Order: sequence, then structure tokens, then C-alpha cells
Amino acid sequence: MMLLELDHIYKWVTTGGRRTFLLNDLSLKVEEGDFISIMGPSGSGKSTLLNVIGMLDGFQEGEYKFLDETIHNMKEKHRSKLYKEYIGFVFQQYHLIDELTVYENIETPLLYKSVKSNERKALVGDMLDRFNIVGKKDLFPNQLSGGQQQLVGIARALISKPKLILADEPTGNLNSKQSDEIMQLFKQLNEEDGVTIIQATHSESNAAYASKIINLLDGSIAKS
Amino acid sequence: MFKNYIKLAWRKIKADKLFSVLNILGLSIGLGITLLLFLFVFHETSFDTMYPKRDRIARVLLHTTDQQISETWCASPSAVGPSFQKEIPEIEKTVRFYHYAFGQPASISVNDKELIEPRFFYADESIIDVFDLKFIQGNPKTALTRPNTIIISESSAKRYFGNLNPIGKQLKLENYQDFEITGVFKDFSSNSTIDCNVVASFKSTHFAKNPSWGNASFETYVLLSKNANLTSVEKKMAKLIKKEVIDPWYTFSLQPFPKVHLYSADYSDSYTARIGNIEEVRNLSFLAVLILIIACINYMNLITARSQKRHKEIGINKTLGASTKSIVGRFYAETGLITLISVIFSLILAILAIPLFNRVTGIELDYKDLFTLPFIGSLLITWIVTTLIAGSYPALHLSQLAPNVIVKSVFKTKTSGILVRKGLVVFQFTASVILIIGVMVVYQQINFIKNRDLGFNPDKIIAVSIGAAENKTSINSLKNKLLNSSNIVGVSSAQGFPGVDVSGRDIINPITKNGHNIQTNNTDAEIVKVLNLKLLAGKTLPKNKAKGDSIVDVILNKKAVDFLGISPNEAVGKRVQLGLGDNAYIRGVVDNFNFSSLREPIGAYAFHNDNSRGLHNYLLVKFQGTHIASILEEIKDNFEEIIPNAAFQYSFLDKNLERFYTSERRMASIGLTFSILAVFIACLGLFGLAAFTAEQRSKEIGIRKVVGASVFKITKLLSLDFLTLVAISLVLAFPLAAWLMNSWLQNFAYRIELSWVVFIVAGVIAIVIAIATVSFHAIKAAMANPVKSLKTE
Repeated sequence: MMLLELDHIYKWVTTGGRRTFLLNDLSLKVEEGDFISIMGPSGSGKSTLLNVIGMLDGFQEGEYKFLDETIHNMKEKHRSKLYKEYIGFVFQQYHLIDELTVYENIETPLLYKSVKSNERKALVGDMLDRFNIVGKKDLFPNQLSGGQQQLVGIARALISKPKLILADEPTGNLNSKQSDEIMQLFKQLNEEDGVTIIQATHSESNAAYASKIINLLDGSIAKS
Repeated sequence: MFKNYIKLAWRKIKADKLFSVLNILGLSIGLGITLLLFLFVFHETSFDTMYPKRDRIARVLLHTTDQQISETWCASPSAVGPSFQKEIPEIEKTVRFYHYAFGQPASISVNDKELIEPRFFYADESIIDVFDLKFIQGNPKTALTRPNTIIISESSAKRYFGNLNPIGKQLKLENYQDFEITGVFKDFSSNSTIDCNVVASFKSTHFAKNPSWGNASFETYVLLSKNANLTSVEKKMAKLIKKEVIDPWYTFSLQPFPKVHLYSADYSDSYTARIGNIEEVRNLSFLAVLILIIACINYMNLITARSQKRHKEIGINKTLGASTKSIVGRFYAETGLITLISVIFSLILAILAIPLFNRVTGIELDYKDLFTLPFIGSLLITWIVTTLIAGSYPALHLSQLAPNVIVKSVFKTKTSGILVRKGLVVFQFTASVILIIGVMVVYQQINFIKNRDLGFNPDKIIAVSIGAAENKTSINSLKNKLLNSSNIVGVSSAQGFPGVDVSGRDIINPITKNGHNIQTNNTDAEIVKVLNLKLLAGKTLPKNKAKGDSIVDVILNKKAVDFLGISPNEAVGKRVQLGLGDNAYIRGVVDNFNFSSLREPIGAYAFHNDNSRGLHNYLLVKFQGTHIASILEEIKDNFEEIIPNAAFQYSFLDKNLERFYTSERRMASIGLTFSILAVFIACLGLFGLAAFTAEQRSKEIGIRKVVGASVFKITKLLSLDFLTLVAISLVLAFPLAAWLMNSWLQNFAYRIELSWVVFIVAGVIAIVIAIATVSFHAIKAAMANPVKSLKTE
């Protein structure tokens, strides 16, 4: 089943009266259950593409359908509903909320979905179990290592049972061992839970975990 | 969800201690002042609301014109009450008040004790009904119907008698008049214009026997019938005066009782010690709101100063599914919590400040009033309003951010936002500079008044009350005893002295037949020497005067002689008409001197020796040397020997004159406190903006450092920006302050010129404070390691 579809997307910035294309006539179809790695050199548009898919950023031309809904003219409110329902984000800088404990960070998306207290407790408890971080639940982000923080970040992204996880250089700040663990986890999520994953990465070995690799160059998908 | 907001807000407050402290401090001070002034406004506007008949009560005002200057007095002649009541049907009752010896403290003996009673009044018996006096003991129907009866307040009863029953006991006034205590009434509350401690029946005064249309010394209240029309009553009053008085020098009007407290500041001769001023209430309310706004502005400045961090956090929350509404809710929760803490602190601050406020202003605010229902209600409203105002900018502005701020490594703030914040700081500093200048000018003016040549010398003169002396002989023997002392250089006895009211009369120009207001003071020969007056012509009053001598000697001041249209030398020996009989002759002329406030130009004044006008009230003792305590002790010993059974009471002439300027002093001290606090709060705002800018420009600073800028250069760069803001504030503040202070100085007949020094000093103060505030952040930013600020790219 089709999850999302980008159709001839153009995105540019104008500097000194000249357009610099960040995404140039880019088309992409993502099926439910895909695990896609986006690769490419710096400045090729990996992050921009992820941001467009994640609706964090707009574009100038083209069409973007998510679950057969056209989203690029969508209201902010509607979009925030989509995040809640279908999309989880994992960031290179983890972006945990500093003032909240591990437990509370993971719980936050459920609060925004107005999930009942008992149910929240059960869901967060399951997630802590699954990631083996029960003992760390009352710690604050600055008390954790980078790998642990990213685990919490992923747990938080998964808690609302999203159909799609968008990960921008999820292991960019981690060492190779931690990096492998995270990738194993992604693979497992994809295969066992059927979560669609799109990740941007520099690393060939990380990219290899995916079932499909897209190479970007100057904002377009390179033919391979 | 709500619990979560509060939890998060609390952690935020704890995480950013410095900023939380600055925030809470600024808001607490702002709210504390607002609370205090709320309390003040509550107190002032609650005046006289406890009297059930207040809407039917009015006070008789007397209007008189002295050449161009028209005056309004709160006192009227003693005939006004009885004749109004008799002739005007709408006037049901009238109450005349007479404060003992025109407002002097009375020395009384009661229960074998000698006491000073500062608020000793005579009043018509109708006071009990018109003002609904609550009797604790005695019969209100009959308590004041007879001469020489007196009722006393509950607290006076306690003071005089402890737990004994005062009914039927005697009270002796100044050793010559005995009263029977016939009632005890519940004290007038601290927000009542009527503030008597003891009330003797009006029939006990000699004024009661033949009511006159002359001596205007009696504050008169009338009780009108229901639905009486004020204007038509006033018309009837005018008609009545036309009929009764030949060539009156006054007209009358009625002032509704509810207006008496706040709208009488410009009227003279009121007996109450509690005179409010609607202007003062308005000014202080305005200042309170201003300070609250300044404090809210600070909050916004400080919160948005942290916005870079906030942006990231908002972005994360939005990607996790937070709606705009929930972000707004969170900011308001955070603001609400901070304001709640501030409200609690401000309440504590206000309670601590009340005694100080009372001492400075002379107003009796009670902290218990803070816990009354209307006050708690307004406190809640203040809390909500402050939260809404202070929280509006962060909540509404920041919540609108799109979630993509999270992926933008450099965020750009709209220049308009910066402009608004800079504008707010300019506003704060302008207000502060105006306050600084205002306070300096007020202090200069007060000093100017203090050191001005008054035309007489009030230094080292003690005025001793001798109202209790039995006769002239005892006054003279006290005088002679005191003169034997080496410390005492002169003694004069007199009816009054510069700074207290004496008798107001009319002096008549024999050619034009015009009348002119003149103050007359019954005294003796020594007065010229004791007060150090300058004799322009003639001599002082004669030392001795035979008992039956009907000649009255008069010393006029220059102003009075000018009115007569003759020179001082021509005046000496001439007969003069000023209501002291037909045998009054000018014996001397003294130069003008300021016998009243410097707000007013000097009026006509006369000293005379008309013995038929009763005994003198004061002994004016001029002393030398600096051992004031021992001199006072010496005077007291002599006093007690010759006038036993009377309390020794005295005042210093120079101190007494200062009381004319208490309201200026009061405004100056409130103003000083306000200015310090306003400047302090404004500094918090500047501090916040400096932090914000330093954070925003951290990358720029990093780059500049990498390419070789020194710490000093960068500090200068950052500080200069703020000095520009302060400079703009000065440019705005100077003309405004000059205009405001010039119009304030118009209140004084004798005033300073505004000097540019004041402006320079205020400017330097503002700049120094600004530099001190800003340089903290500027230096910190300049010292920071550029690697940190640059690596986020």
C-alpha cells in the first residue's frame, strides 16, 4: 500500500537574484513497510528531502500526497494531527527535552494525543522494557550517554505507534558500536513491526541495513 | 495535561535560577507597589462611607476674595448653623464644630492626670444624630444638651480612666473650665473625616451665646431633607445672607459630604487632620500602573531573551504533536506560576512596607485590610491580568513558530520584534530619568524653602503653650523668671506666631473704603525682638499698658501699609480701622515676612495689644546656645512652678514651619522610593535585553574574535548599542521632565529656576547604571570561547 508520494518536487532559495535548487524535480514513492536509506554528499539535499517528507519544511512546486491526502496546502492544525498519528522523528542531536526525565520524554507524545493516564503508564512501561532502560527512567537527558539519549529519542518516536519514522543522521554523533545497535533496532522494527523507516546517512554500512537505497546529487535522485 | 504544564514550568524556573530570580524580583517589586497603592486608594476612597446619612450631609464652604486671589475656607461664622436651620426648610439639622483654640492641642486634667488632648472639639448636640455616633455608655439623647457636658471616645476613656467607669466624672480644661463626662462613643474610624477624640457641648463655649456673622472659625455641616436640591438650597442661603449681613465679605456654598475628603486639598481652615487629595490618589494610581507595566515588560524581555532555547523546545514539541493551543497553555502556565510566586512575595513585601509607608505618608493603612474580600478579589484579578499581559508576548509570539525552527540552525528574529523590545527599554528608561529629575527638583525646592530669608528668624525659638495660665500676672512672672536665665535672650507672649493661624480680620482703606484681609496677632513689646523683625518706621508696642487704657497700638507689615496707600513713615501715628475698635493707632511698621507657606504671597499682618481679646496662648522663648535639652528642662521647671496642673507643651518655630511642606516631603519620599525601584526594574529589563542580544549575536562575536577582535573592542561594540537606547531615552525625557517640573514649581510663589545641572546629573546616573548593567553580559559574551558559538553551524 502506498504511504506517500512526491511528484516532481522543486524547492529553491533565491540568492542575489539567482535560484539555487535544493530539490530539483524530485519524485519518490514510498510503500508501507519500506526501509529506505538516503545517501549523498554534503549539500545534496538529504536533510531537505527528509524535512519535506516530515512536513517540517515546504517546497515551491510539485505535489506531495500522504496516505492519498494532498498535504502541501494543509493547515497547521491538520498537520500536527498527522504527526501525532503517523510520524515519528529521530534527530542527529536527539532533541530530548532537557527539563523532562527519560520517562516523561517518552510520555510526551501520548499527552498530546490525550491518552488516558493508565494506558500511558502501560505504554511507556512497555517501551522502557523493550529498550532496556527501566533503570534510567528517572534520569534527565544530560545524565545519559549519547547512545542512551538516542535510544530514548527512538523510544519517544515509537511510543505513538507511527507508520513512518524519519531519521536524519540518527547515528551521526555516535561511535560505531552504538551505531550498529541502533541500526539493528531499526531493522528489527521494520521487519517485525512493519514500521516504515526513511533515514538519511553518510555511512555505507548504515545504509546497507535498508532494503532500498536512494542516492541524491544536487537535489535530484541519481540514476543507479 | 495541566499538571504536566505546572510540573514543567516549575522545573524551568528551577533550571534557570538567575533568570527566575530576576523575573520574580522585578514582578514582586512591581506588584508590591501596586498592592500598597491599591490599599492606599481603597483607604482614601472608603472615606466617610460608614455614615448612614452621608448622602444627605453637606459641609458649608465659605468663599472670599482677597484682591485677585479667591480663597475657599471650610470654616464659617457661628451664626451660619442656627440661622440656616431656622430659615431654610430643606436644612433639617446643622452641626458646628470648633476645635479647641482654633486647632491647638488642649491641656486637660482628668482622673488626677495631666494630659495633652490634641483633638478636643466643641460641637452642637446634633452631631450625635447626624453622624450616628454609637454610644457605648451614656444617653445619646441628652449627652450634649447641657453646657459643660462632654462625651469622649472609647480609646480616650481607656487612656484617661483605664477600666474605671468615666460617666459622671470631671474633666478640667486648661485649669479654667470643668466638664461632666456624659457619654462614651465608639472611636471614629481611621477613614473618617470627623476625627474628634472628645466632644464638648457647643453650649459650653462663649461663642454659643451670641452667634456672630464675623468670626469664621466654625466648620459647619448641614443635614438636608430627602430629595433636597443642592442648588436651590444654595440660592436660599445667598438670599438669607443678603437679608442678614450688611456688606458681607463672603459667599457660601455646600460641599456634599462624600466629596469632603478627596476634594478639599485647596481649601483652608479645615479642622480634620485627615485631608486627602484626589490628585494624589490619581497620580499614585497612575504611577502604580506604570510600574506594574514596566515590571510586565521586564518579564517579557527576560523571557524572550531565552527564546533561542525556547525555539528549539517549541519545535521539538510541535514535531511530537503539540498544538499551538497547548504551547500557549504552557507559556501561560509558566507565567502564571511565576506571577503567583511574585504575588505571594509582593504580599509579604507590602506587609513589611506598610509601617514605613504609614510613617512617610502619615496615613493609617492597616495590613488587615489586605485580607478583606474585595481586596483578595482584586488581588486575584491583578494576578490574572498580570499573567495575561506578561505572558502575552511569549505565549502568542513564540507559539506561532512553525515546527521547522528545529531544523534551522540559525534563526532569524523579525526586526520588528527587536524594535518593540528596544522601544520598551527606551520607555522604561525615559520614565526612570523623568522620575530621577523630578525627585532632584523637589528636593532642591524644599531646600530652597528651608534656607530662604523669611523676613524674620525662626531659629532657636520655642513656643510654649500657656493656655492654662490663670491670669496675666502669672504669665508675666513666668516671663520674668525665664529672662533671668543666661540661656534665654528674649521672651514674648502672643496669641500666635508665624506658622499658626491667628485672627483673620478686615483692614479698611480710609479713602477708598475698601476692605482687605489681614491677620491680627495679639502680643506684647518683645515680639519684634524675639522674631527679629525689621522695623521700617516707628517703634515696637509699648512695654506697659494701663489696665483701663482703651488705646490699641498696632504694628503693621509693609503689605498692610501699602494697601493703605501711604509710606511707612507717614503711617506712624495714624488711626487704623481693622476691627479692633475706634482707638487703634499705628505705632510701627515692619518689613514683610513669610508668616504662612511660601506657596502663597505675603499677605497683610498686624501685631496689636488689645487686652480685651483674652489671654495669650503662647510664650515665645528665644534662646542661645546648643544645649537644647537643658534649656527645655529649665523652661519646664519654671512652667510647672507657675502654672501647675497643666501639661508642658512646646514646639520649635522652625520645625513648625516645615509642616507646610509635609505634602511635598511626602511626595518627594514616595517619589524617591518609586524612582529607585523604577530604575532598578528598568535595569532588570536592560539586563534581559543585553542577555538576549549577546545570545543572538554570539555567532557574530565568535567570528569577530576569530578574525582578531579584542575583548575590549567587542565589549564596546555591544555596550554602545545600549547606550544609544539610553541616549534616546534622555532626549525624550529631558523636555518632558522640564515641562512637568516647571508646572509643578508654579505652585510656589517663591521657587527655584530649573538648572541644567539636574539634567546632566540625571543623564550621567542613567548612563552609568546602564553601562554597569550591560557590561556584565557584554564582557561575558566577549570572553566566551568562539569555538562554542561557531560549532553549531
